[in-house]
Amino acid sequence: MTASRVGDSPARVGGFGRVTGAQQYVADLHPADALHAKLVTVDAAHARIVSVDASGALALPGVHLVLTSDDLPQPVPRFGPQNRDRPVLAVGETKYHGDPVAIVVADTVDQAEAAAAAVRVEHEPLPAVFTIEGALAADAPLVQDPSLREGQALAQTNVLNEHEVGWGDLDQAARGADVVLERRYTFPMVTQFAIEPHAWMAAPDGDGIVVWSAIQHPYWLQRMLAGVLKLPLARVRVVAPDPGGAFGGKQHPKYEPALAFAALRVGRPVKLVLTLEETFQAVRRAACDATVRIGLARDGSICFEDIRADYLIGAYTDIADRVVGKGSYVGAGPYAIPAVRIRGRSILSHTVPSTAFRGFGNPQINWAVESTLDEACEALGLDPLDVRLRNLAAKGQPFIPFDTPCDGDWADSVRKAADMIGWGSPMPEGRGRGIAVGIKSGPTTGLSTSIVRLLADGSVVVYAGTSDMGQGARTVFAQVASQELGAPLDWVTVVMGDTAVVPYDQQTSASRSTVLMGNAVLNACRDIQRKLAAMAARVHGVEAGAVAVEGGVVRLPGGAVLPIADVVAASLGRLGGEITGLGEARKEADPSHPLGGSAAFFEFNCTAIEASVDEDTGDVTIHRHVTVSDVGKALNPLQVTMQDEGAAIMGLGHTLMEHYLFDDEGRIRNLGAIDYRIPTSMDLPRSLESAFVEHEDGPGPFGAKGMSEGALLCVAPAVGAAIHAAARVRIRDLPFSPERVWRAIQERDRGEAGA
Amino acid sequence: MQPFAYSRPGTLAEAVALLEERGPGARVLAGGTDLLIRLRDGSLDPEVVVDVKRVPELAPGIRADDGRLVIGATTTMTEIAAHPVIRHEFAALADAAAYVGSVQIRNRATLAGNLCNASPAADTAPALLVHGAVVVAAGPEGTRRIPLDAFFVRSGVTTLARGELVTAVDLPLPSTRLASAHERRTRRRGHDLAAVTMAVGVDARGAARLAFGSVGPRPVVRVDDTATLGDRSATDADVDAILDRLLGDAAPSRTSMRASPGYRLAMLRVLARRARATALGRLADG
Repeated sequence: MTASRVGDSPARVGGFGRVTGAQQYVADLHPADALHAKLVTVDAAHARIVSVDASGALALPGVHLVLTSDDLPQPVPRFGPQNRDRPVLAVGETKYHGDPVAIVVADTVDQAEAAAAAVRVEHEPLPAVFTIEGALAADAPLVQDPSLREGQALAQTNVLNEHEVGWGDLDQAARGADVVLERRYTFPMVTQFAIEPHAWMAAPDGDGIVVWSAIQHPYWLQRMLAGVLKLPLARVRVVAPDPGGAFGGKQHPKYEPALAFAALRVGRPVKLVLTLEETFQAVRRAACDATVRIGLARDGSICFEDIRADYLIGAYTDIADRVVGKGSYVGAGPYAIPAVRIRGRSILSHTVPSTAFRGFGNPQINWAVESTLDEACEALGLDPLDVRLRNLAAKGQPFIPFDTPCDGDWADSVRKAADMIGWGSPMPEGRGRGIAVGIKSGPTTGLSTSIVRLLADGSVVVYAGTSDMGQGARTVFAQVASQELGAPLDWVTVVMGDTAVVPYDQQTSASRSTVLMGNAVLNACRDIQRKLAAMAARVHGVEAGAVAVEGGVVRLPGGAVLPIADVVAASLGRLGGEITGLGEARKEADPSHPLGGSAAFFEFNCTAIEASVDEDTGDVTIHRHVTVSDVGKALNPLQVTMQDEGAAIMGLGHTLMEHYLFDDEGRIRNLGAIDYRIPTSMDLPRSLESAFVEHEDGPGPFGAKGMSEGALLCVAPAVGAAIHAAARVRIRDLPFSPERVWRAIQERDRGEAGA
Repeated sequence: MQPFAYSRPGTLAEAVALLEERGPGARVLAGGTDLLIRLRDGSLDPEVVVDVKRVPELAPGIRADDGRLVIGATTTMTEIAAHPVIRHEFAALADAAAYVGSVQIRNRATLAGNLCNASPAADTAPALLVHGAVVVAAGPEGTRRIPLDAFFVRSGVTTLARGELVTAVDLPLPSTRLASAHERRTRRRGHDLAAVTMAVGVDARGAARLAFGSVGPRPVVRVDDTATLGDRSATDADVDAILDRLLGDAAPSRTSMRASPGYRLAMLRVLARRARATALGRLADG
């Protein structure tokens, strides 16, 4: 029996079930009496619902229910994590391509599909806005009824919110600049593309309801459902089986309320599994149009950054305005800059509501700022690596004056990445290198609670409300408990995802769980250790203060060292029982802070790319992709590497090939996998090298920081810089599709290259 | 997915009779890699799906017979890509078969299915056109041989008559070696639908043919009767002039999401030059 230690990389807890198909996802749950749901939508971006005729659908075999907003409590309940602006089902009009008008319930999936197609929705297409320019036009139709935005200064526009942050004197700082550049960069709409389809099931449960959801935040969902259904929290049970990938898209409720009303109506479990096409119409990342003005001195110091970033969010807020606020907030990057102004705007449109997506608003703005900095370096003939090293904030430096000071030796990561790629060394003909850095603010508030039970035989049950969506949280929590309580890893069970069983956790997001829930688990283990020390002292007739419990063993005065399992058995005696520990970790809010709280930590990443361009076709080949993240302490180095590689590859998606395409009326043209391409194994860099820097300087257990998003932040600017170095073309719109790169080369050869 | 009947005939006569009786209400299932997508997305709603994998005359297999290479209708892309005779004598076909879909798809997808689906972007069509493939079809009136160029009509439509079924694809084994190569453009390196396909064949006497797809309603084959493409001493300008002529009637879709017409037309030329260079290299290698 050997305990696992943090810093080891044991086989993933639950990994065997995940890779063999034994794991039960929501779609795999098949209660005998379950019915199946299908959403009814109209083929328009924006339409007035004239009438809904369900008679044909209801006459089909196996159909139990067609639910529209007319069948819901009036006024129709609205929900949303930021603004309660999203109705359970569309009221009066649909506001994006895919906005559900009704939900159909039938005995089988096929019957539900047939019935959904048979619901006749008479509708009139209305003018839609689906670009930033369109949404801001003087005559643009308002996406949201101003009555929903009472008290908001911008309620008569499609600007949902403006976020401004800054420090220093821009005009004065600009006087020190030897070059001032202003550049505009755009970032397209992309979708999370979790491999597990979004899936939910709702069922009446006595006087309440139980909802199964592949969700990252079971407790938010519980609270939201309790509000919409007017039930006490204790009557709303959310079961959240481990999601198969989430990436932010499964943070917040989407169709759970409609499903809950349907289940209560039919009195049976009702299940809804989205197709991939429907998932595209449910979750996406905000597009962004950013204009960056940057001043650089000949010595390489950044004098100022003045950034405007317009994010195109969807028809309902979801968490998108928070994405804009938090993402733009660190837009100036990990640098110590004397003067900064960042203005971020969230702009409503008749498109799929954008939501959280790995990187949370940072990849869009970092692409623009790091690329503009690269252009400024070029203008002054400066080395982009030197400029970054020169301007990086030093540890302890309050680089954002009102926030957590720089919490890492960030230059170590940059030097490591530069060493790995051989920055400055010769390369084969036709290649170019690019380098970029990025930061993301970690969680600004948080509350995680954990219960740990040390059972009579020394085995351990950990209760943690984190959702393990593939990031490996189960394994890390089991490692912490194993190390602290001395049980081997296969004697530790981690229970997650059930609000009736597991104590409160605020959410699984912002790469927080290793830090916040990790600390909660650690604190619960330490609670057990304190109780165990007292029990051991009693059994052995010594002073409690003289007993030490640590690292899985009990140390008695006189030097005896006992395994915890032996002490538990002896201490519990004939009645048996167990020792229960309670742990909590908090990150308190700060109402005076622009984000409502300072960063618990910063995720820092440096990415370096070596690429070549096929000038005939525009194909980009990434020969080397180096990513280095500052992780504090890698509790499980293999999982750290997997997260870093996964984020890097995901970043290649929006960099090289992913984007939503629209027709002239705002309908999505490339729904589904055939015309929306994500990287496959064939599209990976020829060499992908991930490394990390550990200085045990994070707030998590043993000095860990969160780290699952950093490697996505810098991919686009690093690849863009490498393309420029290889082919002398500066491309300011993503993705770098072969055709776009080819066109840039054609323009270069005609002498029209971008300034 | 809408309900449909499933039939698995054990003889060719049974299959032909069923297809004749049900006409457009029947869809043939071989590898299923195109059919299943369309059943699932609802763009096809057949009364009956006719699984032809148990029909002996359609069995997979590649054999030489009387100056031809006969490829059974249900031969998979994986088998074609790996076959030594195809790799040497019909190299463009081996290239193309190795590009289709992903490993899993190539293990299921059949050559006859790729042709009968009649996508303008069908990966194997240009190579088969360059090599003068003949489709063997069995039907109520017996068996007939259809030159592939007379087989394609437009996207999803072939000259197969009601009740007809492809049993094999024949490739004439040439007396003079025809070295060939296939190229294509996609949005990513992993499996994708082609935005442009191109095959070029050259023989030792300088004769050359090229075929291309995904730039019009059907794949097209053109013969270079100037012997320029097969002439390794031809200048780039000579080659480009011939290509302009041979590729002149390419008419890419204006609404495709895969690439713009301008890019496709430019890539046709790039791919033709590259495929020609590869083919000439293969010819030199023997």
